[in-house]
Amino acid sequence: MNEILAPPIVPARAAPVPVCFFNERRRFRRMVGRGALLEFVTVGFYRFWLANDMRRHLWSHTAVGGDTLEYTGTARELLIGFLFAVAILAPIYFIYFLLGLEAERYKAFASAPMGLFFYLFAQFAVYRARRYRLTRTVWRGVRFWMTGSGWNYAWRVGLWAIVLIFTLGLTLPWRQAVLERFKMRHTSYGNVHGRFVGSGTDLFKRGWGLWAIMMGLIALPIVLGVSGHGILAGVTAFAPFIAAPFVYPMYKAIEWRWWVDGIQFGEVRFESGMRRADLIGLYWKVIGWLLVIFSAMSTWFGGVVGIAVAVNGFRHTTAQDMAVMMQSATVLAPFAVGYVMAILALWAVTRIYLIHDVWQKVAQSTTVYNLGTAEDVVAEGKLVTALGEGFADSLDVVGF
Amino acid sequence: MTTESDKPDPAPSEAAAGEAAPPHPATSVPAIPQPAEASATPTADVPQPAAPAPETAQLEPPAPHFFNGRSNRKRSATLSLATAGLEIVEDGMLVDVWPYASIRRADGPREVLRLRSVTALPLARVEVFDPALQAAVAARCPALDLGEEKQTWRIVGWSLAAVTSIVLLGVYVVPIVADRLVPFIPQSFERRLGEAVDKQAEAIFGGKRCTAAEGQAAFVSLVDKLKQAGGVDVPLSAAVLASHTPNAFALPGGKIFLLDGLIQKADSPDEIAGVLAHELGHVKHRDHLRQLIQTGGTSFLFGLLFGDVSGAGAVIFASRTLLNASYSREAEQNADDFAVDVMHKLGRSPKPMGDLLLRVTGAQANKSYTILASHPMTEARREAMIKADRPATGAALLSDAQWRSLKTMCGGVAAVPARPAAPARPAPPARSGQGGEEGAGRDPGLSPRGDSDSGADNGG
Repeated sequence: MNEILAPPIVPARAAPVPVCFFNERRRFRRMVGRGALLEFVTVGFYRFWLANDMRRHLWSHTAVGGDTLEYTGTARELLIGFLFAVAILAPIYFIYFLLGLEAERYKAFASAPMGLFFYLFAQFAVYRARRYRLTRTVWRGVRFWMTGSGWNYAWRVGLWAIVLIFTLGLTLPWRQAVLERFKMRHTSYGNVHGRFVGSGTDLFKRGWGLWAIMMGLIALPIVLGVSGHGILAGVTAFAPFIAAPFVYPMYKAIEWRWWVDGIQFGEVRFESGMRRADLIGLYWKVIGWLLVIFSAMSTWFGGVVGIAVAVNGFRHTTAQDMAVMMQSATVLAPFAVGYVMAILALWAVTRIYLIHDVWQKVAQSTTVYNLGTAEDVVAEGKLVTALGEGFADSLDVVGF
Repeated sequence: MTTESDKPDPAPSEAAAGEAAPPHPATSVPAIPQPAEASATPTADVPQPAAPAPETAQLEPPAPHFFNGRSNRKRSATLSLATAGLEIVEDGMLVDVWPYASIRRADGPREVLRLRSVTALPLARVEVFDPALQAAVAARCPALDLGEEKQTWRIVGWSLAAVTSIVLLGVYVVPIVADRLVPFIPQSFERRLGEAVDKQAEAIFGGKRCTAAEGQAAFVSLVDKLKQAGGVDVPLSAAVLASHTPNAFALPGGKIFLLDGLIQKADSPDEIAGVLAHELGHVKHRDHLRQLIQTGGTSFLFGLLFGDVSGAGAVIFASRTLLNASYSREAEQNADDFAVDVMHKLGRSPKPMGDLLLRVTGAQANKSYTILASHPMTEARREAMIKADRPATGAALLSDAQWRSLKTMCGGVAAVPARPAAPARPAPPARSGQGGEEGAGRDPGLSPRGDSDSGADNGG
């Protein structure tokens, strides 16, 4: 048989192809809930296994052109990456300490700007962590991969942070565009190279209204207050807090859509049908759970204090007695347990709604064009270690 | 061959090809392993239509797919279950043989069996859609799920072992290491430390040094006497700061600050002398340096444990505080012992220091925060000092005039008791302890607190 008679299985080349997501939310929810409990029992060590399981779940439930993605990373890699990162960071922290010492000798609090170094280092880590995850992402037996210097990325983030501060966030779209362009032009799938064609101006056009609304709501009570309408100022001061859970998800939806629309690999391009309001419900569900968790934690704290007061027999409990009691181990230990439980519950909620559900919405709203041009991509690119993700983990900036 | 478990291929459904897949020549692959060679499999000699459409797939599962790991081209393949292993046949040509023991399951959709082989290219994949064939392959691969076993208990066990080890290190090893390290660190380094925190400390406490010449002279003479008696050979720099907080503290490298608030609370030079001697004890024992090493060590250990991502930052902080408080209680005890010793050498009683402490903190007994307190209970300390009480045999440490100038050197015009030794007390008993409510006022025993705080800032 020759090649003409046995071609690869090709769908109609030009037809757009939707991205499919096979929803097994219940399974994901169980994984996350169990993971939270195990994180508690293992004092956090289980996080490596949980993160890896979550990625495997999401990747393997997402299909492009009928073939699901595959995540080939392992939890052991993450653990080793973290341990190496800690080992490397220890002397860096020490040097940071010595330099800080010299700065403080020169002038009180002069060492504060040195924290900037860690901000930039965190960006470096974020970039390297993305690179790690990408090289573990496989589709049709060929992996994604990434080049580019994490430091080149970090200083771009640093400069744009300054610009953002001076423009009150209005320049965010251009920052996102610059960073996405940087990431995507260093991203490849086999021998097909990626690029990002979204423009900052486009994102600005889609999102400036939200920015204006937020700025207006923040400015309103100030203006009212200055002009002497005290009560009105007090009432409207709440407006930004009520508006934020609407405005932020709307911005995120706009940004996702812009991001998906901007991604290209060779001839393959993507289009998102994400609507502006698509994510609002998810964020409100998180807020609802937040309230539930918070009330449970408050009840628990109240109960602990109540029992402590009853048991210790503080008949006339003064403020100072209370302060002393709050510091006793019998009160602190259950507090710590309740606090950690609440945090873990919160993490579980965000993992379900803001990772799984957002992922699902983004995937299901995406259409792929010209996928037929990526039918014979030659494998390229090497694996990288999880050290970058280890840095991100130890600096507390780990993304998903 | 229509089984209920037949699911459509996850391919998008838009390409509904008109023709059904060709009938399989050998459709029956029994789940029970047969003589291996015999179990021929669905073949696809005829070119497949475009992505198998659901309608066709419901009738017949598509032929297996093969990705060779060098390109992403999706190849339609025939699998045959040979003795040597899984033979992958493409266009009638044998392209690879995967020994059964080398075959592993790769992540894929539930209804597809996706395979990889540890002997093949890492990303080479075979996808099997036909449930019967899936079962037949799975039955032959002994290591299909190797490495995927539930290892939860192992993870939990090792984590708990790691936690135990880290806690033991923090409680027992870190203090020993700090003790051993301190002698190797030159005095000059400690002085640099002191210079670094010195400006912060001054800024926090109002930053105004009291410089009235007579008061300063009295202060220096008192410090010098204590220094000689204690055998402290570190060059000292001591100063009085104009702050209402009743406290005194030492910084690394021999810097001692006495706050005016404490002078105002004191009734006699011996009270102040005891407190200063306690601070000298910290300087002599190099407690700051030791505490810095301990704080750094425990921070590192706990950071290792929690990694900070679990959002348990507050827990890290709490456990570190507990541990550091226990380190520092020991240091405080030693500094108290030193102070008692110095006062005895000068022929004075340490008891007035205990009185001053009690006056500043108020009674602390029956309050259950000993595990958190960085200093021992005031009552316990005072009791130790009363035990060490001796009639004065040495000369008064300051003359009346010197005492008065010390009391007024920050501009205070407080009534000064005429007889330093007499326990007459013009100020009301400090039960109210206005300073006692402020954080710094809680350790009028002169903690190495200025140092430990800055240590945490710089090191954390």
